[in-house]
Amino acid sequence: MKDILKLGGILLLVTAIAGAALSMVNAITKPRIEEQKRLVTQRALTTALPKANPEAIVPVTENESVSHYIGYQTTEKQNIAGYAFVAKGAGYSSIIETMVGVDTTGTVMGIKIMQQVETPGLGTKIEEVRYGESSSWFQDQFLNRIADGLIVDKDGGDIISVTGATISCRAVANSIKKGMGELEERLGGFKVN
Amino acid sequence: MSLSNEFSKGFYKENPVFKLALGLCPTLAVSNSVQNAIGMGAAATFVLLCSNVIISMIRKGVPKKIRIPIYIVVIATFVTIVDLVMAGFAPALHKSLGIFVPLIVVNCVILGRAEAYAGKNSVLYSFIDGLGMGIGFTFALAIIAVVRELLGDGKLWGIPMFGSGFEPVLLLILPPGAFLTLGMFLGLFNWLDTKRSAA
Repeated sequence: MKDILKLGGILLLVTAIAGAALSMVNAITKPRIEEQKRLVTQRALTTALPKANPEAIVPVTENESVSHYIGYQTTEKQNIAGYAFVAKGAGYSSIIETMVGVDTTGTVMGIKIMQQVETPGLGTKIEEVRYGESSSWFQDQFLNRIADGLIVDKDGGDIISVTGATISCRAVANSIKKGMGELEERLGGFKVN
Repeated sequence: MSLSNEFSKGFYKENPVFKLALGLCPTLAVSNSVQNAIGMGAAATFVLLCSNVIISMIRKGVPKKIRIPIYIVVIATFVTIVDLVMAGFAPALHKSLGIFVPLIVVNCVILGRAEAYAGKNSVLYSFIDGLGMGIGFTFALAIIAVVRELLGDGKLWGIPMFGSGFEPVLLLILPPGAFLTLGMFLGLFNWLDTKRSAA
């Protein structure tokens, strides 16, 4: 009995020290991590809405969370350059979060995958930038498409998926398609050109 | 027990992957590109160094019966610290290595060295052991990755090595390729050993 108490006590001491160390590290790194997250969103927004003024992209909130962003052409906020939203879809081993920008007619202007923890070397290639190129070949395929065209090759569409990573690719395409449908509903329809 | 011997044993004589057959799970998972292999190796080496030093420092106060849970707490704490610090201060590195960091907790090379070495030896020797083993682990991952990336993807460090006529053997990048390549290397190392002892 005494032995159990002694061993339990030592274990408690070790875990308490470990816990204290972790909470200290957490307190130091938390503001930095949040700042990094904000920067990632900011950068993704400028990629998704290339025609909007980076200073004039404003979030629209619904039930206290951001439902989408509106990007204006100038800081006077008169002409809308497009809308952006975060599409979330379950991939192979993680929720893939993609920032998607569309213009007022519902055509994809830019996408940027912000968060994914897919299989290294397979699913992670949805972000692959080929040697000598400056942007991701997989994500570039989404440009200038409307929602109906967002289908990967395995499902009969013409978006070429990453070899060995159909699930990750399908998750990206389907989540964007779904998000565009939701955005269209929220806006009461896209403009027809 | 010389220091240089303790350091160099991790490369060949007691290579964690090829000789001790430890840490095979992360080896199989991340050896599909050289960049991934070096990244995983570097992160694991750092955690191994820290955990070896701390465990060696507290080894006299740790009761034998509960040494394993204590080792795991120490290792998991370091892994979390590495993860948080990288996320806050080196976001680019965290983006490419982030997926491997949680894998380190279950890397049995680290628990294995804590149990077999750091729990019994002085801080300096444990540090050297951790460094040698970590670099040996990285080296093992890297040579498997060179074979897999070169033949399976036609690239090295993400740079194409062959002309467009090269048809990569996709199997090598996929999980079965990890088992095949690792098996070949294990066989090669055993063969070298039998040759050496016969001579």
